[in-house]
Amino acid sequence: MALLDELSGAARPVTKGRAAAREPGARRPALLILPALIALAVFFLYPLAVVGWNAFTDPEPGLGNFTWFFSEPANIATLVRTFTTALWVTLVSLVLSYPYAYAMTVAGTRVRAALMMLVLLPFWTSLMVRTFAWVILLQDTGVINQILGAVGLGPFSLIRTQTGVIIGMVQLLMPFMVLPLYAVMSGIDKRLLPAARSLGARPATAFVTVYMPLSLPGVSAGCLTVFISALGFYITPALLGSPTDALISQQIFTQVNGLLKWGRGGAMGVILLGLTLAMIALLAVSLRRAGKRVSG
Amino acid sequence: MSPTSRSVSLAAVAASLLLATACGGGTPTPAQVDLGSGPATAGTVKKDALKGVNLTFVSYGGVYQKGQQDAAVDPFAKESGAQVLQDGPTDYAKIKAQVDSSNVTWDVVDTDAVWAEAQCGKLLQPLDYSIIDKSKIPDGLATECSVPAMQYGMVLAYNAKKFGANPPQDWKDFFDTAKFPGKRGYPGLPGDAAPGPWEAALIADGVAPDQLFPLDTDRANKKLDSVRSSLVFWKTGAESQQLLESGEVDMAMVWSGRAYAAVKNGASFQVQWNQWMPIMDTLGVPKNAKNPKAAMALINYYLGAQQQAKLTELTSYSPINTDAKPGLDELGTSFLTTQPEVAPKAVPIDSKWWADNQPAMIEKWSAWLGG
Repeated sequence: MALLDELSGAARPVTKGRAAAREPGARRPALLILPALIALAVFFLYPLAVVGWNAFTDPEPGLGNFTWFFSEPANIATLVRTFTTALWVTLVSLVLSYPYAYAMTVAGTRVRAALMMLVLLPFWTSLMVRTFAWVILLQDTGVINQILGAVGLGPFSLIRTQTGVIIGMVQLLMPFMVLPLYAVMSGIDKRLLPAARSLGARPATAFVTVYMPLSLPGVSAGCLTVFISALGFYITPALLGSPTDALISQQIFTQVNGLLKWGRGGAMGVILLGLTLAMIALLAVSLRRAGKRVSG
Repeated sequence: MSPTSRSVSLAAVAASLLLATACGGGTPTPAQVDLGSGPATAGTVKKDALKGVNLTFVSYGGVYQKGQQDAAVDPFAKESGAQVLQDGPTDYAKIKAQVDSSNVTWDVVDTDAVWAEAQCGKLLQPLDYSIIDKSKIPDGLATECSVPAMQYGMVLAYNAKKFGANPPQDWKDFFDTAKFPGKRGYPGLPGDAAPGPWEAALIADGVAPDQLFPLDTDRANKKLDSVRSSLVFWKTGAESQQLLESGEVDMAMVWSGRAYAAVKNGASFQVQWNQWMPIMDTLGVPKNAKNPKAAMALINYYLGAQQQAKLTELTSYSPINTDAKPGLDELGTSFLTTQPEVAPKAVPIDSKWWADNQPAMIEKWSAWLGG
C-alpha cells in the first residue's frame, strides 16, 4: 500500500495545479498576481497584439503576408530548419542532462552543491559572452580544432555550421533541462528501485519501468522549456551559424530591419507563435495521457 | 509602494515635467535658428548660433562613431553651442518607428548610401544646400537627401604568404578555385544586399565591369553556386577581420577598413586594388526631425576639410572633402581609396539602380543565402 501511495504522490506534479485551483480561498492569490498580469498585458500582450494586427493589415488588409510566406520555398525551408534545430537541441540537452540530474540526486551534499554550481554559473553569465566564447572555441583555428589536431584529428568545420549552432544552444539551454529534471527526480523515492529489484526485476528493468515513468513530468517540463526557447533563439544562431542556415528569427530580422516590411515580420511571428502553441497543446494532451497511465 | 519610493517617483515626474518645459521653452523653433548670412562654407558654423538646441547624432558605434564624434560632432557642439548627444547603432526599423509615430529623436543619421537614396522623401527629408556646402564633395556623391559621410571600398584581400609570388589579379582569379585553392571569405550580411558580391561574380563570369547594370542576378548566383563550398560567409565587419587574422580564409572580399585593421594587427594579407568597388556611408536627416536646420548645420560642419582629415586619421576611412590632407603613416595611406593610383581601378557602381531595386535584391540575396 505504501508503495502505491508513494507512486501517486510522485506523479502528483502533473495534477497538483489543477487541484489547488479548486481549493476554497483560491481567489486571494489571483489578487496577488494582478501586478504581474498588468505588466504582462502592457509589455507583452499589447505589443503582441500590435504585431498580430500588422500581420493582417500592413501594407493592406488581408492574408497577403501569409500567402507570401507559404509561397516562398526559402521560407518553408527556414521554418523546417528552425524546428529541426530546436528538436536536436532538445534531444541532445535531454540526453546530456538526464544522467547529470540523476547524478545530482544520488550524490553527497557537497558534490551535489558543486554539480548545482556547475549548472548555475554559466546560467548567470551573459548569453553574449558565452556565445562569443563559443566563437573562439569552435572556429577552424580555435581551441577545439587545435586539441583535435594535436592528436591527429580534424580540422572539423564547427563554426558557421548547424552543428556549431546546436552545440552553442545546448550549452546555453541545458540549465533549463537540468533544473526541472532535478526537481522532479529529487522527489522520487529512491527505495522504489531496490523494492522493484526485490520483486525480481533486473536493475535496468527496474530503472526503465519504475524510475523513468516517474521522472516524466521533469522530462516534459524541461523539453518544453528548451524546445520553445530554442525556436526563438536569435543571437546564438546569428553568431555561430552561417547565413546559409538562417533560422526564422533571423529571417524576421531581415523583414523588419532590412526591408522594413513589418507586416511580413508580424506574419512570421504569428506563424511561429501558432505552431509553438500547437506543439504545447499536443504535448499537454500526451502528457495528460502519460500522467493517467502512471497514476492509474 | 513605500512612502520613500512614492516621493522619489513624484520627484522624477516633477523633474521630467520641468525638463520638458525647459526644453520646450529653450529650443528655438526651426525658423528661429540664425545660421548667419551668405553662402555656407563646409566645416564652419556661426559661433553660438545654436545655443540651447539639442541634437542627436546616430551612427554605427565603435571606432568609427568615436572618430566622427572627436573629429566633427564635439567640435561642432563647442563652436555652435548646441548640445549633441550620441546614439546608435543606426537601426532602420527605429528610424521608421520614429517617423511613423511623428516622434523623431534622431536628428542626423549615418546610413548606407543605397538605403538613403531609396528612402529619399520617405524616411529621409531633402537637404537644404544653402545650409550645406557640397562644393568640396566629389561630383555626383551628394544626392537630394544625403551627403557622403566617408568613403571606403569592397576589396579583394589575399594571403600574401600563400599567394605572394603569384597573387590573384582580379575577381576572375578570386573565383578560380583550381588555380588558387583555399577558402574565401565573402559577405553574407543578413537582411542586407549591397554592391559587391553579385558584381564580382558577374565580372568573374565574363561581364565587362562597365556593363554590369542592370545586374543579372540569376547568372551571378549560378557563378556563386559553382564556388559555394569554398565560401565562408561573414555577417559583420568584425567577423571578416577575424577570418583574416585567424587565417581561416586565404582570400576574402572585405571592406577596406577591415582589411587595414587586420593587417595592422599582423595578418599577412594584401589588397588587390584591381576592380575594387566604392562604398559610402551617408549622412541624412529623418523626416519630421525637430530641428532640421540645426541638423543640416551639423552636416555642413562635418564636411569640412579639417574635420575630414581628422576623421580619416582616426578611422582609416577615406575623406570625402577633396581638400582634406590626412596625416597618415605609410600603411594607413596605402589603404585609402582616394589614392590617385587606386581611384581609377574602381568598378563603377550604379547607385541609382541599387536604390530602385534594393528591396527585391535583399529578398533574392536572402533566398540564395538560405537556399
